[in-house]
Amino acid sequence: MRLKDLTLSLDGNAGVVEILKGISFDVGQGETLGLTGASGSGKSSLLMVMGGLERASSGLVCALNQDLTPMGEDGLARFRRDNMGVVFQSFHLIPTMTALENVALPLELAGEADAFERASVELEAVGLGARGDHYPSQMSGGEQQRVALARAVVARPKILLADEPTGNLDAATGELVMDLLFDLRDRFGATLILVTHSAELAARCDRVVQLRDGVVVSDSLSMAAQ
Amino acid sequence: MSLAWRIARRELRGGLRGFWVFLACLALGVAAIAAIGTVRGAIEAGLTEQGAVILGGDVEVQLTYRFAEPEERAFFEGLGEVSELVDFRSMLVAGEDRALTQVKGADDAYPLYGKVHLTPDMPLSEVLAGQNGLPGAAIDPVLLARLGLEVGDVAKLGAAEFVVMATLDRMPDTSGGGFTLGPPTLVATSALQGSGLLSPGALFETEYRIRTPEDLNLEATKLEAEKRLDGTGFRWRDRRNGAPGISRFVERLSAFLVLVGLTGLAVGGVGVSAAVRAYLAGKTEVIATLRSLGATGSLVFRVYLLQVGALAALGILMGLFLGGVLPLVFGPLIEASLPVPVDLAVRMRPLAEAALYGGLAAALFTLWPLGQSEHIRAAALFREAKSGVHGWPRPIWIVACGLILTALIGAAAWLSGLVMLTLWAAGGILAAFVVLVLAASGIQQLARWCARRLRGLRTLRFALGAVGGPGREAQAVVVSLGLGLSVLAAVGQIEWNLRNAISGDLPDVAPSYFIVDVQPDQLDPLMASLEARPSVSKIETAPMLRGVITQINGQRALDVAGDHWVVRGDRGVTYADGLPAGTKITEGKWWGEGYEGIPQISFAAEEAEELGLKLGDELTVNVLGRDITAAITSFREVDFSTGGIGFVLTMNATALRGAPHTHIATIYAEEADEAAILRDMAKAYPNITAIRVRDAINRVSEVLEGIAAAITYGALATLITGGIVLIGTAAAGEKARVYEGAVLKTLGASRSAVLANFALRSVLLGMTAGGIALLAGIAAGWGVMVFVMETEFHVAIGSAVTIIAGGILATLLTGLMFAWRPLVTRPARVLRARE
Repeated sequence: MRLKDLTLSLDGNAGVVEILKGISFDVGQGETLGLTGASGSGKSSLLMVMGGLERASSGLVCALNQDLTPMGEDGLARFRRDNMGVVFQSFHLIPTMTALENVALPLELAGEADAFERASVELEAVGLGARGDHYPSQMSGGEQQRVALARAVVARPKILLADEPTGNLDAATGELVMDLLFDLRDRFGATLILVTHSAELAARCDRVVQLRDGVVVSDSLSMAAQ
Repeated sequence: MSLAWRIARRELRGGLRGFWVFLACLALGVAAIAAIGTVRGAIEAGLTEQGAVILGGDVEVQLTYRFAEPEERAFFEGLGEVSELVDFRSMLVAGEDRALTQVKGADDAYPLYGKVHLTPDMPLSEVLAGQNGLPGAAIDPVLLARLGLEVGDVAKLGAAEFVVMATLDRMPDTSGGGFTLGPPTLVATSALQGSGLLSPGALFETEYRIRTPEDLNLEATKLEAEKRLDGTGFRWRDRRNGAPGISRFVERLSAFLVLVGLTGLAVGGVGVSAAVRAYLAGKTEVIATLRSLGATGSLVFRVYLLQVGALAALGILMGLFLGGVLPLVFGPLIEASLPVPVDLAVRMRPLAEAALYGGLAAALFTLWPLGQSEHIRAAALFREAKSGVHGWPRPIWIVACGLILTALIGAAAWLSGLVMLTLWAAGGILAAFVVLVLAASGIQQLARWCARRLRGLRTLRFALGAVGGPGREAQAVVVSLGLGLSVLAAVGQIEWNLRNAISGDLPDVAPSYFIVDVQPDQLDPLMASLEARPSVSKIETAPMLRGVITQINGQRALDVAGDHWVVRGDRGVTYADGLPAGTKITEGKWWGEGYEGIPQISFAAEEAEELGLKLGDELTVNVLGRDITAAITSFREVDFSTGGIGFVLTMNATALRGAPHTHIATIYAEEADEAAILRDMAKAYPNITAIRVRDAINRVSEVLEGIAAAITYGALATLITGGIVLIGTAAAGEKARVYEGAVLKTLGASRSAVLANFALRSVLLGMTAGGIALLAGIAAGWGVMVFVMETEFHVAIGSAVTIIAGGILATLLTGLMFAWRPLVTRPARVLRARE
């Protein structure tokens, strides 16, 4: 993934706010990257732009050698479907779908015939094989996040984006979810970009980029990589 | 000020946002009922105020078949100024063309009240006087156009010629007369003497209008008239109720429309209930906070009851304002479209009635969710904060709901005066409600089941999954739209079947012409000429007299049989010698050919059963002023549904043959030859009147269409309320859809896929609502046709398709109204807002 001179400005009640101010860095294939910074530093916005969920105001966003900036909404949607998995802090499962249906969704959108069989295997892998018929409202936060993880990896994406996936979970459940996330990534070899507050989590990544007020203030190999 | 009220007031500071569906549903339901009541009140007031004009006098005495005897006339003249009118059907002939007309023969005193509107505007006396030695006539413009006549042309009635002096635009007493088949022609009675139309046995009525002193006691005069004219079959009407038929009709129709309006209120109730539920769900945290600070469940209940009560009062007031004012705004339009005088004004009674219904409906639909709010605990602050109200309210609120429902139905039954119809309608609405709720839940389960098994069709599976998932959208849509469509479906099915019964099936079995006033000496040559025509397949004839059943077994018939149509006024009576072909005796014995003994009666079996008559009962029948008493010796099957000749009462030939009478006939002929038959018949026998059955059927269909239109408008109000509930539901679901759209797009769904998903689930819900409404409509139509109308029922395909399509279109449009934001909003904004 390549970012060059990336800026993002948003119109708010208080006028135009510059969120990202000229971000440039590359992420190598198969690399795990931790994005850290204080609240409001722009790390989640950066992740959204990298996932095509938000449009950059200027600059270049390239993923898998494709420029995302000129793509339309539907083009971006298709690109995500074929290449990306996203995990959010608030899980974002569809409340009217069961756990199994939520996990099968990306495969169904891709027109895969065996969507449910594969989704079932994936649910099994996150330890929720028996909960496929349950709706999100019938599950705990940790369980919902495990379903979200299964959904993010079920289509074997080349890039995995995670936005503070343990932010809404207690420490023990958070650790379990992170173990799962890294375990899944290791198995499929996807590039992982992880937004986190936690220095401990960031340390599990190959590389850590720190943001402050919308600019990169440090870009270094993590302790684990060293 | 109580604590509950203080807290409620603070809560209401947030304004009325989110309550527009609540207010609109309640206001619209109340407005519809108030408007119907206001228009009804205006018609009733108009009829009362203008009673004398509509009637044509302060008093009218109607006689059949004859003019008043000198002593009767003297009695009328003793009451005030008298105007004598003669009224009958005849054929108006212009050259080779002829058409049925309702002839009114007037004297110099006509009209006692009001004015006859003519073009050119001229005094009526000049019209009746005529010109060039011929008497004059004023003729309805439609009739003139049909016969190609213009002012100054000559036309014939029977053997008499008239010159057309003016077009008859309006007679002041038209609206009280009821249903007529032909457009009117007004001539002088004196000019009819040479026409041959008023000869003995001819079917005509005379009306004696009297302008009485204002202080005359009408009730006492009526009793006096009953004493003097008893047994003559006379009909009395006076200015207190100048058009009893119309007032009864208006009363019935408006009562029925109020019931339709109540259905609208029930539909609105779904929206009201959903709005309260959503409001309370949004207030879960506030309620939990109040509870954590020490508020009791009942305090919370009172706080929200006061808020909802204040909003309901506002909604009802808005409805009363609309329902009271709109009829005044549309006053000129209403006056122009009604054939009766109306006196539009804001009246308290209909408004009070509408407010009562509105208040009860609001209480009924809000008490349940309010009762549920008592269950919200302080713990909701930490868990289930978004879950809203659920579970059963305390038993006291369930009982209260039952009592309010009973009060609502009781009030409707009492105020409409149609107890049985109200109970049926209430039962129907309740049943439809329960069926729709069950169907909504059934369709959710079915959708869930299908969604889990459908693997290939992605969009359909998504839509099914959404319909079958948790949430109340399916229920709100199916119930609100389904109820509105059910009423429309029922009206559609019943109207189509009624019209089909009259204009579809009947012409196949009914005769081409119904002929009256055939003089005895004309019967044989007429029959011979008709039988000679190859196109004529069948002719039936019967002697025809008019008679009044005055006594049953020596007692006054009206006292014994109440209001049954057979004893109300005069009826057609016939005689026969041998058993007529095709007659089926169900009980007793026919008198046999050549019988010359004491008079005997053969009576229609079904009507006899309704009147409680049995063999051997004695009836006294007044025919032309003569009482004939005879015993019933047989009962016959009489089928009035085919349009053929059918008499309730037949006597043996010698009992009636001596009385002056005419014959009636029915002619069954090929449609292509109908015009020629009429032309030849009328040329040879100018006095006879031929009623083309097809025309009569069309006229009845027109009247039926008008009634159906009124009811459809009422039902449309229900549907509009349903539409508001739908929009409210879609608006409430917009946030969820924006979120869902964002997640779908994040996972790779294109906007068209998201749109298809939303559209398809709307279609599924609309189809379900339409389908269930159609079943309800078919059930109601079947019940009405088979049990009330006692005829066959067929499913009206056109109406059925409209209902289903309407259901789909309504949900699709409201769904798409709120699909824009989910499509255009960037996923990141939505998802991050939820973090």
